[in-house]
Order: sequence, then structure tokens, then C-alpha cells
Amino acid sequence: MSKYILKRIGLALLTLFLIIFMLFVLVRIMPGNPFPSERMSAEQIANKRAEMGLDDPILVQFGRYLVGLAHGDFGKGTSLYYGAPIKTVLGQCIKNSFKIGGIAILMGTAVGLLLGITAALNKGTFIDGFCTVFSILGVCVPGYVFLIFLQYFLSYKVQLFPYFFDTSRFLYSSVLPATSLSLFTMSTVARFTRNEMVEVMDSDYVHLAESKGMYGSTLVLRHILRNALIPIVTVLAPLVVDLLTGALVIEKIYGINGIGKLMVDAIAGEGVDYNYVLALGILYSALYIGIMLAVDILYGVLDPRIRVATHRGEGREG
Amino acid sequence: MKNLNRRSFLGVAGGTAASLFLAACGGGSSSDGGSEAPAADGGEAAAGGSNLGVMLYTNVMSLDTDLATDGDSFEVIADCIDGLMQMDADGAAVPALAESYDLSDDGTVYTFHLRDAQWSNGTPVTANDFVFAWRRICQNAGEYAYMMDEIGNIKGAAAIVSGEQSDTTTLGVTAQDDKTLVVELEVPVSFFPSLMYFPTFYPINEEFYTGLEDGTYGTSPDTFLSCGAFVLSDYLPGTANLTVTKNPDYWNADAISLPGITYQVVGSSDSALTAFKNGSLDIVMVNGDQVAAVEADADLSQYLKVTGAGYMWYLSFSQTTNNAQGGMLANANLRLAISNAIDRESLVDNYVQDGSLATYTAVPPQFAASATTGEDFSADQTKFADFIGYDVERAQKFFEDAKKELGVDTFEFTMIYGNNEGDEVTKVAQAIKEQVEGALAGITLNLQGMTKAERLDKMQNDNYDVALTRWGPDYADPMTYLGMWITNNSNNYGFWSNAEYDKLIADCVTGAYITDYDARWAALYDAETLVMQEAVIAPLYTKANANLIAAGVEGVDFHPVALNRVYKTATKA
Repeated sequence: MSKYILKRIGLALLTLFLIIFMLFVLVRIMPGNPFPSERMSAEQIANKRAEMGLDDPILVQFGRYLVGLAHGDFGKGTSLYYGAPIKTVLGQCIKNSFKIGGIAILMGTAVGLLLGITAALNKGTFIDGFCTVFSILGVCVPGYVFLIFLQYFLSYKVQLFPYFFDTSRFLYSSVLPATSLSLFTMSTVARFTRNEMVEVMDSDYVHLAESKGMYGSTLVLRHILRNALIPIVTVLAPLVVDLLTGALVIEKIYGINGIGKLMVDAIAGEGVDYNYVLALGILYSALYIGIMLAVDILYGVLDPRIRVATHRGEGREG
Repeated sequence: MKNLNRRSFLGVAGGTAASLFLAACGGGSSSDGGSEAPAADGGEAAAGGSNLGVMLYTNVMSLDTDLATDGDSFEVIADCIDGLMQMDADGAAVPALAESYDLSDDGTVYTFHLRDAQWSNGTPVTANDFVFAWRRICQNAGEYAYMMDEIGNIKGAAAIVSGEQSDTTTLGVTAQDDKTLVVELEVPVSFFPSLMYFPTFYPINEEFYTGLEDGTYGTSPDTFLSCGAFVLSDYLPGTANLTVTKNPDYWNADAISLPGITYQVVGSSDSALTAFKNGSLDIVMVNGDQVAAVEADADLSQYLKVTGAGYMWYLSFSQTTNNAQGGMLANANLRLAISNAIDRESLVDNYVQDGSLATYTAVPPQFAASATTGEDFSADQTKFADFIGYDVERAQKFFEDAKKELGVDTFEFTMIYGNNEGDEVTKVAQAIKEQVEGALAGITLNLQGMTKAERLDKMQNDNYDVALTRWGPDYADPMTYLGMWITNNSNNYGFWSNAEYDKLIADCVTGAYITDYDARWAALYDAETLVMQEAVIAPLYTKANANLIAAGVEGVDFHPVALNRVYKTATKA
């Protein structure tokens, strides 16, 4: 098992390195002026470029960038939040996005599981139908539409929640965006849980367990849900990254200082800020790779068959 | 599945889910709860009123005077830091940190006498704070360093900005003592005092700045010192909302009525309007589309206030052989034809719709008034009526002349414009295309939208035919516009060159007219005439902002130049 995990980690690091290299090269060869200035002379711009090392060979620049990265330094923005180190801005945005995303994940997963289990246990009834319709709606209606809907009724018509995100009242103003964000996860989890559970409940071993007199929460939690969880974890993993990295539009609409809004600003501002695009690209990739790694390891924990199969696989390769 | 006890299971699952959710919320509240109460209630109660809620259109990019380049950043910096001078309601320079100043007889040495004022850490504001800040601007040579050398003409600035001189003590700014700042200029600059309210010239406390970790100045309330009407109380780079609070130690604290200002970045005009209606924000900007709706609404229309934004939009024509079919637009008659085919009133009435002014002068109205007569340089918008105006017949006559001179009958040009520069820009570009093609048979004007940065890049590299572009005044003098059209100026994107024009401008900046204010004013008018006669550019309109200001909010000063909004005299009932 530990050899399997080490191999996985090694592969993940290699993938991340390749991604960083490709992103770096792409960002550097893209056309465009990193200093969209209207007042600096050509001389001043040349001096600035030299100062930032933009005239060095690309591999030298990449080496310097990696050394910086190893120290947690992403450099500075060129047209966004000029001068402030990217890590300062990024750290702040990550904190906000992760907090709201975290609430959304917990809410989405918990309510989704509950809905899915309820629907499965009441297969074919009105409750099942209701859960299905809810899931379809949740997947089809984009989170930001739901946010605008909530904003209109709960912040404008009835002034229950703030109309914009207010950092001094973090939790209070997280309610609307976190609820909107969780909708997709909630529906996806509910749908998968219901389908997987219905399938598992119809399998021979569950019938056997039932015939041996097992019932209630023991049967559901230990035998049915555990088996149904594997595909759910698979769909949940990328959703977690999506939620943590913030929904681009939701953060922009609600004025949340998070990674999603930062991405929109870095791309759609007056000039594309390549250093921010690069830093965010690396962050997104690292998160995806990290989560996928966690999922791979989690499979082994959830399903002994995967552990065993891997051992055999390693044996054959060796 | 009959044996399954559903009810008992639901109890378990429901309980688990509920406790998970509660745990999530509980965890959050324990870490945030502490800071919640004082910020919301304490701050406001202590000041005896509520903060003014103000919409920002874009994020505050930087609070460092060396790095900030946008109006919103300048506005917040000016809330917190005073300059030697400040703007009065009409935009004139009146004393701020300088109690008074003396000017030498030859007009090149300003001696500013500082009043007693202090930074928010309790240290006094001294002349050295200016010396340090100005040297730093020159040394870093960023976007606005040109205010020091090209515009302010401060002795020694040009050499430092260009990198030739690395010793910043050669800059002509000295602290004679703690309260006396001496500034030496290369030549007299008639509008120099009005430059002093521009954030580039604000002070920074040297000891505080050098004690900070590199790159952290102005990135949080802890790394920023105020000496202005407000102190920064809540800010982080990239934040969508920030707060400044009244500075009790401000030298003129008694005159400040607002307890503070809460700024909110609002991405869409629809959100802005809704936030205004439900009272979340007191001052918002609405776009052209919404202005008609607001005007039609009896309740809302009373809050509408149109203010000059300063920006003048114009068409730039590339006159080099690299573009426009080998330099066709170097022909003045062709440029005049296009300029006269555009119906500017229709552009502002039907497409921009926010109160912007159709403009027929190379220097827009409303920002530069004569110091001797007080008259707006461009009050008379008909003075160039012989060369500019919506007159299809005249446009066609110019066009016929151009075709004869060039020996070409059909022209196909591409007009570039920024599609991230405001809701109305794309519509204006399309309208211009229709008007020009409709009036001048033989001209095809293709449109190409791109980001502002790409548009600038193309213009700076002389890779465009026609560009829809804009310029906002940095200081209250016609030179902020006319200085651009001299040979080889970096903003002369058309590469127009005229020796007579160059001489006129040089005489106004460093030569014959620098000590004779009225003669200089007249020479600037002559220079503008040359630009208009040849349609070096085609001025289109001067942008306005359509603001909604809540009932009970009074005394906010709006300016088209330097600082868009100033709150020193503002009150909120």
C-alpha cells in the first residue's frame, strides 16, 4: 500500500512540474505587452522589462520562477494590484474561497446524501419523484442564476441578508453564495446516491443480509451506503475543487474577494495579467492533482478490492 | 426490502447531516464571530452616524502613489493622504498640508510652508516626507513619473526617470527644515500648484516605509499611514469592499462630517441600481441604458446627477505608410471627410445616453479654465465649425478632394476599439461605421473589437488604421491634450508631425510664452487650430458619469480631473 501511495505521489509531482512548465512557456510566448502603459517612455518600459528579467532566455526565466515557487513566491502582478506580491493577494483570496467553498461542500454533501438516501428508500413514491425533479433542477440551473434569485428575494425584497459580501460579517454574508454554490453538488450527490443505492439494494448480498435478519441503519450504513459511496466519491472530487476554487461568476456578482473573482479580474481587466494567470493556473492544477491523489488513496480505504488488485498489479509489473 | 426500517434510518441520516452542517457553521462562527460585532456596530455608533456607501466600478488596484494608475485608487489614496494643496469644489488648488507657499520672481522656485499635521502613527508630517516620496517616484520611473519631469519640470527629474542619473539627491526637491519644502523647476510651470493635489505628489513617511517588508507598503491598514481626512480601516489588495474611517487627528478634523466611507466594487450596473434602491449604497453610477429608465421613474429621477468624467473619446488615424492602404489617412481631406460624416449628437443621445457631451474641440470642455479670466478653454464648441460638425455635404466635398489627390476611389479601413472599456463603446463603434459608410460611398470601415491592452499595443506599434480611443486629463491645463500631438510624443499614435505645431508647444512649455500667461493661452489656441484644421484626430464626445446620489447626502465634490470624487465637505443625514 505504501509503495502504491509513494508511486502515486511521485506521478502527481511530475504531472504538476510538466503543467507548470507548459503554463510558463505559454504565458511567456503569448503576444501582448505586459506593461500596457500610456505614459511611460519606450526607455522606461525597456528598463522595467529588464528589471523584471523579461529579456532573459525563457529557460533562465523558468529556473528563476521555480526557485521563487520553492520559496512560495509567485512574483508580482503586472497590471493587477501592481506591486503587491501575488502571494499576499492570493493568500487572502484562497482563504475566502475555501471558507465559502467548504461550507458549500459540507452543505451540499450532507443535504445531497440525505435527499439521495431518502429517495432510494422511497423508490417510486412521491418523495422519490420530488428528489429527482430537485436534482434535475439543481444541475440545470446555474448557481449564479440561483444567487440572483436569492439576492432578489432575500436581500432586496426582504432585507434578510446583505446585498453584497461584507468581510466584517463573514458567516452572515456567506449564506447566500454558499447555498447557491452548494446547489450543483447537492443535486449531483443526491442523484448519484439514489441511483447507486437503488442498484446496491437490489444486489444479492443485500438480499442475503436482509434474509439473515439485518435491517435498518446497520444495513444501510455498513453495507449499502459504503458500496454506493465509491462512485459518489469519484464525482465529488472534481466538484470539491470547483467549489474550493470559487465559482467565477458567483464571486463576481456577490463581490467576494476570492480566487474566482481574481481569475476573472486577471483575464478581463484592462490587460491580461499573465503572472496572475500563471499563479492561478498552478494553483488550480495543484488542487486537482492533490484531490485526485486523495481520491485514489481513499478508494483503497473504501474498497479492499482495489487495494488487493493494486498489490497484484505491482507484482506483475515487478 | 420490506424489512428495512426506514423511519429509524432517516433519523440517523438526518441527524448526521444536520450535525455536519451545524459543525460547518459553528466552526466558521467561532473564528469570525469575534471580529463581527465591533466592526458593524461599534465603529458606526462611535462616530454618530452611518458610513457613506459608495460604489466603485473597478477594484482599487494599489494604494501606493508610485503604483496606482486608476481613478478609483487615486480617490481612496486622497481620502487618506493630503497633498501640499487640495481641490476646492471648483477644482482650484487651495492649501492643504502647505499652509502657504512663496514663488521666486523668475517663477522657478516654490517654497512651501507646511502646517502642523501628523501621520496616523503620531509622527509629524515633515518636508522630508515629500522629498522621500518624490525621489522614489522618479527612481521607480513608473506610469506617472512623467508628472515629475515632463509635466512638473522639476529640476533633475528627467535624468533620474530615464535612468541616466542614479543619484536621487540630484532631484530639485529639498527639505530646508522640517516645515519648509523647496522645489526647483527647470522652467516656470503656471499650473504647478494644481499638480500638488495629484496623488503622485503626496508624501510618504520614510521611516515607516523603510521599516516594512519589501512590497508590502499599502497592502493593508497596518502597512499604510494616513495624514488625510480618513484612515484606512479595512483593506486588502483585490478586496471588493473596503472602509475608511474619519481621522480624529486630521489637521482639519472639525470640518469633516462623515464618520467614514464604505466602498463596494460592483461589477454590473444592474446590481448597482438594485443596491441603490434597497439602500445598500448611497452613491452609484448607472450606464446609458439605465439613465432613460431612471429619468422615467419619478421617484428615482430626483437622485440623478450627471457629472463630467473628463475622458474625451476620439478617433486616432494612423498616418504612416504601414497602415491604411499605404498611408491613405495621411491625407487631411480624407480625415476631414470622415470627421464631418459623424453625427456626434446622435452618438451621445442614442448610444452613450448618460449625459456625455458631443465634442468639437481637440481640448474637451469643462476642465481647463484660464487663471486670469476664469474662462473655460473650450467653452465655445463652435470655434472650429469650419472643420468639424455633422455635415454630409461638406464631408462628401472633402471626400471628393481626397479621392482626386490620392487617385483612389475606394478605401477599406479597419477601426479597432476596446470591448472592455464600457458598455457603450461597441455601440458607438457600430454607429460610426454606419454613419461614415452611409455618408461616403467608397469607404468601408471594418470593425475589430479587442481588449484595451491589445488596442493600446496595436496603436503603440503602429499596427492599425483607425482607433476609437480616449484620453483623460491628468492636470487642469489644455497641455494635457495638446502636448500629445508633437512629433514623436509616445501618445501621438497617428505619427502626425508639423514643425509649426512643435514650435508653438515648445514655446508654451519651455520657451517664449512661459512667463506670459495670456500669450501662452492664445498660443495653445493657435496650436489647437492646427490640429482641428487637419483633423489630426476626430474628437467625438466628452464622457460624463450618471450618478445616483441618495437623499440626505450632500457636499460630495465631483471633478473631471485628478480626483473624481472628494468627500471632505460631504455630509450624510
